[in-house]
Amino acid sequence: MFKYDVFINSLADLPEGKEIKLSVRDLSPGLQKYAYKHVMAMVSPDADKYPEKLQVRFGRGQVHNQPYSIQVVKEVSIVPERYL
Amino acid sequence: MYKDNREYIKALEAAGELVTINQEVDWDMEAGAIVRKVCEEKLQSPLMNKIKEYPGHRYFGAPLSTYRKLAIAMGLDPNSSIPEIANVYLERTTNKAPVKPVLVDKDKAPCKENIFIGDEADILNLLPAPIVHEGDGGRYLCTWHFIVTKDPDNGDVNWGMYRQMVYDGKTMTGPLLPFSDGGKVFHGKYKPAGKPMPFATVIGPDPISAIAASAPSPIPETDFAGMLMGKPIELVKCETVDLEVPANAEIIIEGEILPDVSLEEGPFGEYTGYRTSPRDMRTCYRVKAITFRNDPITTISNMGVPTDEGQLLRSFSLGLEMDKLLRSQGIPITGVFMMPESTHHLVIVGVKPIYTNIAAQIAQTVFGSKLGPWFHMVVVVDDKCDIYNFNEVLHAWTTKCHPGTGIHIWQGVGTPLYPFLSAAERIKSVGPKVLFDCTFPLDWDSFSEVPSLVSFKTVYPQELQDKVLANWEKYGFKS
Repeated sequence: MFKYDVFINSLADLPEGKEIKLSVRDLSPGLQKYAYKHVMAMVSPDADKYPEKLQVRFGRGQVHNQPYSIQVVKEVSIVPERYL
Repeated sequence: MYKDNREYIKALEAAGELVTINQEVDWDMEAGAIVRKVCEEKLQSPLMNKIKEYPGHRYFGAPLSTYRKLAIAMGLDPNSSIPEIANVYLERTTNKAPVKPVLVDKDKAPCKENIFIGDEADILNLLPAPIVHEGDGGRYLCTWHFIVTKDPDNGDVNWGMYRQMVYDGKTMTGPLLPFSDGGKVFHGKYKPAGKPMPFATVIGPDPISAIAASAPSPIPETDFAGMLMGKPIELVKCETVDLEVPANAEIIIEGEILPDVSLEEGPFGEYTGYRTSPRDMRTCYRVKAITFRNDPITTISNMGVPTDEGQLLRSFSLGLEMDKLLRSQGIPITGVFMMPESTHHLVIVGVKPIYTNIAAQIAQTVFGSKLGPWFHMVVVVDDKCDIYNFNEVLHAWTTKCHPGTGIHIWQGVGTPLYPFLSAAERIKSVGPKVLFDCTFPLDWDSFSEVPSLVSFKTVYPQELQDKVLANWEKYGFKS
């Protein structure tokens, strides 16, 4: 069961072994399903390396057949404080 | 005519154009799949009374996806033909005084029956934003709606149908293209000044207001809606922004479009029938307030292969606004028709070809207008061809258009949604435009050079035609 998914242009957008900024969709069931989170995270093409499963999609929604894993380090706000 | 969507829904039901679904429907693709099938098979509009996880909410899908529904929305006989509906549209909106809207008090506005402001105004907690297609970039709450904005300099109000995807409970994102009316004001005025642009999204407006919002008329949409309806639209002031919205709409979302923030949006199944424009950074809408009627009805349009209401209504109104434009220039057209099945890319213009290159003049006029970015093919036929009869148009197209001299191509403004464009063309919003001139050259001698059309109506004497028609059933045919 995937916890998050992410839309990317190419797999190069998901480098392993370094903290990267991503917009991920939270796939947890409920009213907030598919809400986006802006996060700093570690990702891996090894589906078991990090605690959560990550589904990868490309720019037109195509599903990548290889599940990734993800560890969210922290959430970051993309909207400046003055608008919150 | 109907003051709100609910009266319109009753009229659809009376005409056999509504299916009421009382079993629970999932907002996560199931509702979208129902609406998609309805569009592709030109079926009745579904009213879904029970939405998973959102008690008290309802969906109304494919509200205006056929000409039959359009006729009902305009108060006409459901069996009205396309030219009959078009003539009523033109009659109500040409050379008439604008019908200004009226402002009503908050206590007379159903859209204020439930009011949520600030932190309480969380889209996903309050509204059943659907996943319309598998693979969409998010929950598209706003597919049959319009966005109200105001020009900061002259106060001109715009209603525009620009899709919006829910990013999170307080944020939406979507393409506000720079050549759209709303986009011109945002990208040309608010953004350079670094100021947020107030907006109000109207979901589930009465059908006439929806038609007005999708019409590219130079008349303000508020007045245009009044002209089509034959009485003023009732507006009410918003709670948190200096804008007015239709008092009888189902749901209102108020907020600001941020001048210096972009968010990822898309992909989305689009009106062209493809998922074309890939995910990109687009306009950011921050939500300040949400108001809605009791038992609110969220409208769903499902863009994809024809025919959805976006394709049908934009074809209808784009074509008729082109009709007005060409007549205003004194060009002797017989009419303009856009086929919804072409996803409003193909314009058919009938004209009395009284001078050489009249087809080029027509194409240059419509491509050069503010309507131009939304289509790229113009087919000009002569006044003997019925523009609403595609068999006749196709015949003229394939027999009168000279491949060497009758096809003209220009570079123009396009939309990033054209499926045939390269990625570079999409980014710049440019694209080629093509004219198919399906008129015979005027300098051909009508007796010796112009081919004779071989049809029942043109090659037999009138008396013989009358005789055959009079005896048609006696021959054994059905009339």
